[in-house]
Amino acid sequence: MKALEVIDVRKQYKNSVVEAVKGISFAVEPGEIFGLLGPNGAGKTTLISSITTLETPSSGHIKVFGTDVSENPIFTKKQIGVVHQEVITSGFFDVEEILNFHSGYYGIRKNTERIHFLLQKLSLYEHRKKKVKQLSGGMKRRLMIAKALVHSPKLLLLDEPTAGVDIQLREDLWKFVRELRGEGLSILLTTHYLEEAEELCDRVGIIHRGEMIKLGETKAIVREYTHKGISLTLSEDIPLNSTYLTKKEGTQYDFTIPQDKSLGDLLLDLSIPTCLIRDVKIKEGDLEAAFLQLVSQKQADKQKEGTR
Amino acid sequence: MVGFSTILQREVARFLKVLVQTLVTPFVSSFLYLLIFGVSLGNQMGSHQGVSYLAFLIPGLMMMSLINNAFQNSSSSIVSSKFSGDLEDLRVAPVTDSEIIWAMSLGSVIRGSLVATITYIVGTLFMYMQTGEFLVLKHPLVTLYFMLMAGLIFGMIGISVAFWATTFDQLSAFSAFILLPLTYLGGVFLSIEHLHPFWQMVSKANPLLYLINGLRYGILGVGDVNAWTAGGITFIGFLVFYAMARLSLKRGSFQRW
Repeated sequence: MKALEVIDVRKQYKNSVVEAVKGISFAVEPGEIFGLLGPNGAGKTTLISSITTLETPSSGHIKVFGTDVSENPIFTKKQIGVVHQEVITSGFFDVEEILNFHSGYYGIRKNTERIHFLLQKLSLYEHRKKKVKQLSGGMKRRLMIAKALVHSPKLLLLDEPTAGVDIQLREDLWKFVRELRGEGLSILLTTHYLEEAEELCDRVGIIHRGEMIKLGETKAIVREYTHKGISLTLSEDIPLNSTYLTKKEGTQYDFTIPQDKSLGDLLLDLSIPTCLIRDVKIKEGDLEAAFLQLVSQKQADKQKEGTR
Repeated sequence: MVGFSTILQREVARFLKVLVQTLVTPFVSSFLYLLIFGVSLGNQMGSHQGVSYLAFLIPGLMMMSLINNAFQNSSSSIVSSKFSGDLEDLRVAPVTDSEIIWAMSLGSVIRGSLVATITYIVGTLFMYMQTGEFLVLKHPLVTLYFMLMAGLIFGMIGISVAFWATTFDQLSAFSAFILLPLTYLGGVFLSIEHLHPFWQMVSKANPLLYLINGLRYGILGVGDVNAWTAGGITFIGFLVFYAMARLSLKRGSFQRW
């Protein structure tokens, strides 16, 4: 059974001409980290809000562990933990009180053990008697994560978990997310940081203007849509003829080769004596390049359709 | 049930955290009303429906403070949650709409009744100083019924208004332009017998008249309207506003301002 199934979901907001989500489908397998990628306004938060029933899709279905969220929301909500994009502040209560109330909303009356475990884990234990406004930005984020986990959910939704977070905390959060996956949690993560998706996600779905433009294994997408950059520095200036050569500056030659072509193949094609090679630099393609490639391809397709 | 009791606990804890605003301020205003109108001005006025003006005023003020505080409790709880964003938590968590409505309006009943009880204690002490006798409840069950109903109804009105409101202004507009005139014209300070027949008719269309006079009957045994009529109309009001609160949760917004 899939942890999450999104089936042809569409969302048209009132007072808006364009559909925010235009028939998106994807699934999250149990125990995987699935990334929804896209620039701001692509429809990521609308999808998350539809899963948690904050928004109702105009059409389509969403199933959490096989149960439709519109048919049995109480069941599906119990399976889900959500970390919202914006930090939630609560003026009246301290960290521990907030986590206690939050447990109560999920039907757990006494949850001290779990709460203390999470506070320790997220280095908030010493701050448990502080009000939210007394916490630093990073602590507030961690409190949001603790809140999402008080009821030990099976599916965790992380909406831009590292937006506006410093590098140290980002690394810590990534580590924690991997640990959670190790415990068997299924995770849906939205982000517009491609590095984050590449680092964490087993599979990604790339959305652009409400449409899913690519869905697949992160590594495969990178392989398919990017090129390797190879920079050779030779000890002599020799004439080289290759379709892969993109730039030549003195004795430095830059090549762009497909991902499935190896450095050895290139050197063999060029038949350069190895004794002439002084330095080799390889730049691997990343998700960012794949993303840009996909988006520009999509736009070109659209334009073609328009002129037809 | 845990969801319901957690929200109720949170509501009570919330108003206890801002004790000065929620209990001390109403105490001061009740004290002043009773001192100025009930004791000082009341001495110049004859008896009202067979009771002293001070005694007549006590249930009116109790109901006024109950209504105001019940409305304030649920509405400001929701609006401040909208502001901080944690109202979304309630939508995302597995709690039902009726759990939210009952917990929040019972929170309103508790705060409203506490304030009304404070008003009653202050009033009965003034009475003791004036007449040497405490104000004893004539019909305790009737008193309880009207206090419970008024707290629930205005808790539910607070929920509805807060869910529909998109700005703070809309909330204070409701208090200033609807709630305040209705309480003042509902017979808090005087019996509608003293009004021109036309205004008597208008007053009878004011739902608050029935709550105020129902409570007055419970405490003093006198009132402008029949207690059964008042009780019946109040119950219908409760059903209407419960439905309205349900609708507001379905249609209104949980989203952050």
